[in-house]
Amino acid sequence: MIQALAFYLFAALVIGSGLLTITARNPVHSVLWLILAFFNAAGLMLLVGAEFIAMLLVIVYVGAVAVLFLFVVMMLDIDFAELRAGFARYALFGLAIAIVLVSEMIIAAGAWSAGSLELAQRIAPTPNDMPNIQAVGGLLYTRYLYLFEAAGFVLLVAMIGAIVLTHRARSGVRPQNISEQVKRRPQDAVRNINQPSGQGVEL
Amino acid sequence: MVDLSQYLPILLFLGVALVLSSIFVFAPMAVARLTGAHKPDAEKLSEYECGFPAFEDSRSQFDVRFYLVAILFIIFDLEAAFLFPWAVSLKEIGWAGWGAMMIFLAELGLGLVYAWKKGALEWE
Repeated sequence: MIQALAFYLFAALVIGSGLLTITARNPVHSVLWLILAFFNAAGLMLLVGAEFIAMLLVIVYVGAVAVLFLFVVMMLDIDFAELRAGFARYALFGLAIAIVLVSEMIIAAGAWSAGSLELAQRIAPTPNDMPNIQAVGGLLYTRYLYLFEAAGFVLLVAMIGAIVLTHRARSGVRPQNISEQVKRRPQDAVRNINQPSGQGVEL
Repeated sequence: MVDLSQYLPILLFLGVALVLSSIFVFAPMAVARLTGAHKPDAEKLSEYECGFPAFEDSRSQFDVRFYLVAILFIIFDLEAAFLFPWAVSLKEIGWAGWGAMMIFLAELGLGLVYAWKKGALEWE
């Protein structure tokens, strides 16, 4: 009973915030609605028993991806008049994506109504006596070991790619050099002089 | 299988938070309207920035280095996400799983060394 209530609450909030994501005029508001949608999707994942996925949604999507979206949105120099002028140019492209998504939904609904899945026939049925995260780990690091290592390489390539694309050496800046700064003695920096009165100071 | 009843306190907490936050948002608005203090004018509704008029549009471009930091954060975040199931199931996956994670960590350690040597973590 409470479970059903929670499901309807989360599902309604996901749909509502999804709608507001695409209808909000301000892109920053749009991203904030998207974050709310992620939170509620995490709640839905929790209800179907995928605890680990739910926590990952909160940590990775809300904590990192959505914040990055916010960065991008704030970084873009958005001119609203220009944005509206571009609408007609992208309308055809957007329409194509919309058609693809709608047909995917229709196919998914058709597959759903064609009959239920034989859950017992899966390669790795969910064990009843262990928590979700342990089952994921038991599969990921044995059967899907190579895919896991490939994921590591993808992350490495992403890191190096981001550095190569966005990092450039700047000239004329004074970066911190911790060891130099710590090693500096008072006698290197301070000079005592006996200043006679009536004469200018020589620097 | 997950025992969902463990999450009931969190759900209750969410409900309380929702109710309290909506009270804090809507009660002042209702009170302002009921007591007759709700008299907006152009000056009251304009944005307020430490007593100055806002200098410029807030949508200015900022440095791409923030983006680099954010990307590096996401990558190490994902790496940490892989560590959780590994740590929990270490007993079943044996030495092969342990070695795989060490290789994975070495790859990302290599990335960290690269970022460090390139000066991508520097901020002047």
